[in-house]
Amino acid sequence: MSLSQTALVFVVMAPGAVFTLLASLWLLGWVPSERVLSRITGLTFTACLFGVATLFWTLAASHASAITVTFGNWFAVHDYRFPLVLMADRLSLPFLAMTVALSGLIGQFSATYLHRESGFFRFFLFLHLFAFGSLLAFAAGSFDLLIGGWELVGITSVFLIAFFDQRPAPVENGLRVFAVYRAADIGLLLGAFALHEWAGNASFVGGMPALKEAHATVVCLFLLLAAAGKAAQIPFSGWLPRAMEGPTPSSAIFYGAISIHAGAYLLLRAQPLLAQTQAAAACVIVIGAATAIYGTIVGRASADAKTSLAFASLTQVGVIFVEIGFGWRSVAVAHVLGHALVRTLQFLRSPSMLHDYHRMHSAIGGEISPTGKHLEDLLPQAAQVWLYRWALDRGHLDTILDRWFVHRLLQISRLFSRLDEMGMTAPSIPRKESSTWMRSPFKEAVK
Amino acid sequence: MTANGAWISPALAVSGVAITLPWFGAILVMAWRRHPRIVGFMASLISVAASVGLLLAAPDGDSLREALMVLFSSVTLASTMMLPKRDCDAPTMAGILIILGATLASYSTDNLAVFLAGWILTAVPFLVRSWFRAPSWRPATALLLSSVALSLAIALISASGHALSIQALKGQSPGGTAVFGLLVAAVILRKGICPAQAWVADLAEGAPAIPAALLLNGHFGALVVARLILPLFPSTAGNLFPVLSWFAMATALYVAIRALTENSPRRLLSFLALSQSAVILAGLESRTAEGITGALVHWFVVTVSTMGLFGVLRLLEVRFSENLTASRYLGLAQHAPRLAVSFAVFGLALVGLPGTLSFCSQDLLIHGTLMSHPAVGVVLPIATALNAVSVFRLFARLFLGKRHTGFTHMADALPRERWVLAAGLLFVVLGGLFPNLIVAQRSAEADTVAGGLRSTSKTRPHEAVFHDRALAISGKIVRHVIAEN
Repeated sequence: MSLSQTALVFVVMAPGAVFTLLASLWLLGWVPSERVLSRITGLTFTACLFGVATLFWTLAASHASAITVTFGNWFAVHDYRFPLVLMADRLSLPFLAMTVALSGLIGQFSATYLHRESGFFRFFLFLHLFAFGSLLAFAAGSFDLLIGGWELVGITSVFLIAFFDQRPAPVENGLRVFAVYRAADIGLLLGAFALHEWAGNASFVGGMPALKEAHATVVCLFLLLAAAGKAAQIPFSGWLPRAMEGPTPSSAIFYGAISIHAGAYLLLRAQPLLAQTQAAAACVIVIGAATAIYGTIVGRASADAKTSLAFASLTQVGVIFVEIGFGWRSVAVAHVLGHALVRTLQFLRSPSMLHDYHRMHSAIGGEISPTGKHLEDLLPQAAQVWLYRWALDRGHLDTILDRWFVHRLLQISRLFSRLDEMGMTAPSIPRKESSTWMRSPFKEAVK
Repeated sequence: MTANGAWISPALAVSGVAITLPWFGAILVMAWRRHPRIVGFMASLISVAASVGLLLAAPDGDSLREALMVLFSSVTLASTMMLPKRDCDAPTMAGILIILGATLASYSTDNLAVFLAGWILTAVPFLVRSWFRAPSWRPATALLLSSVALSLAIALISASGHALSIQALKGQSPGGTAVFGLLVAAVILRKGICPAQAWVADLAEGAPAIPAALLLNGHFGALVVARLILPLFPSTAGNLFPVLSWFAMATALYVAIRALTENSPRRLLSFLALSQSAVILAGLESRTAEGITGALVHWFVVTVSTMGLFGVLRLLEVRFSENLTASRYLGLAQHAPRLAVSFAVFGLALVGLPGTLSFCSQDLLIHGTLMSHPAVGVVLPIATALNAVSVFRLFARLFLGKRHTGFTHMADALPRERWVLAAGLLFVVLGGLFPNLIVAQRSAEADTVAGGLRSTSKTRPHEAVFHDRALAISGKIVRHVIAEN
């Protein structure tokens, strides 16, 4: 294995190994101190950063299109194989660098921000698992492996939303986000299956396979479903403000930087397929544009800093989707990187926002001048009121999803429940856990 | 006398030890009435050792029975360690050991009469009112009716002049469509396939948790499919069997939706277990190499995960309340963090968390079922997604959402329980990280299971593809794939 291949394996596996080590130690009863934990985290991501630098240097020096590491098949059944291939190319490398740098940064920030918080250890455990999942998703050489990383990102995201687990609201919101993720992930599973069926495999090492236009359209629409779920695009946007229940550092890295852009990465990876189908590309553009407009309108009516930032993120990711739909791949990658860095900074500063404003006002000797007239002022008063109400209810997206989908599903569930209870004895009959039978079972059986 | 001059073959002797020792243990524990945990543990341990010996001696590609024996005896061993002190009395341990012996007898035998005896014997403790019988009438009725259906099927086979050896009956469709129908009815009733699904939740709710979980995790319905229906009725199965697959997928979806509003943790867990185990049937029926292998691997995952979940739930009930509910937040993670983590990992492992064995089994199942029935197969990821939501809801309601108040200290997992939980977690996690150790073995067995369908005469176009792709591939290719990895 060459130096660059070793570096790639190290970068992806190191956070996973740290997670496994810490979790095992916890199960054995040892919890490291805050200082030890933050140093382990700092060392891990610094080493990973050197690994990423090695990858950049090797790729630039060799003029190769990608660095790949093949471990054979994870498992295989006849001609169906799950390839275990890691790949760093000009698309995945910026995402790997972004993940490593921001995870390390968030680790250092959180060491102070979450000092003496009861879930300090838990946060760092999930941070490493999240970094591992993200790096696995970005370095995967096939959609099969990408699914693994993708779902790990989803589950860590949910557990961090429910981080403050002594209140019901974060847990409820975590459950909601989990449900949306799982619903959208069906698209990724079906997309990978369709690729296996029509292209023979779901690998993108050496480029995406060429498909018939109809097949490419179906695959892209499945992938768009998954990407829209992860990136909170319409109609899934309702989960994003709920996700702000988590601690600010996790909001920053998930919804300002990495998780929210994972959907864009998926579409960028599938871009060669997207280029084969105008219908799917048009869907990407429409969804992205609609989300951008939705985000900017709803964000203006948001009352708290983190939610406003979340909707600002949504707007930018919508624009990134539009860029991907038009095939402006380099613009989209640059947009992702720039947006992730700026938004992370904004999220991390959001708890100190008032303090920052006061300092700024003191420095300039007065209030900051308004940015000028807003476009909504051009609308008639009645329309402004309607739009404000619409924005306050976040575009009624959650209401529509609840009314048309969640409530109906629960109604069906209750109907099934009533069907099951038909003929049932009274539920109040006490349960006997252990047998009170003191005689021989055989005598009792023949009695 | 055997070919080498011995009165009894070593394999038969070891099987006999694995099966009869638990029964001796049951008799001993009922007669002696002391140290039930030690007696149960020793009997299960010897059963595990004997089953492992059989597995090591089994030929490649034909070790499904032995692997299932190891699995079931291991989870029974774990149960004897995990059983709370409150539940660990002589009748309960005797019941567990009877279930173990009977299940191993059914797994290992080639004789239909012995298979039937094992089937009935596992149900007996759940039919006796003062033993494990649930208050509801449905579990006892379903178990009785399924036993009657299987008895009639075997009686018809015997009446039609056939021997009762499974090996000798392969491919002969003994008794024709009538026997096939009775076997399918037995599967539907015993497995809890729609419309006979309600008894499973009643059993989980009303009977002792761990024995009930053991009964459900015998997966006798899937066993009948894998060992009787597929090999004995290849042509009938080729034409009529997809109907059972549709029922299985309908069950998976039905109970997944049903679980969304269920607030009794036991019933909810039984729905999850039922939904995921119904998928095993659909995988077996898919008749693709991926689907059958996925089903066999999933069998292992469902067994270990649901035993872990029921075990943790029972431990919670013993510590906190017999009447836990998912209708409000209980915040038990602060009292029992290790039980919380175990519950979360077992629960997520049941629904395909990456890094666990079920991620691989679900991947294979989805590919297999979608390949054979694209319209029906799409139900599988939907049902799994709904189950994942229910798992997280139950976890959240039991363990999160409430601040710990008061000064009462409740024990987390005790050392004896911790070892068992750690072993289960290691199995699902290490199995997920290195799945080929298990998948390759099950793949070879999938060929054996699917082999019975080779002579299917009437095939649909898609099945022709399957014949080309999966069944026609010889054992040589399987060995090549294993060697390559």
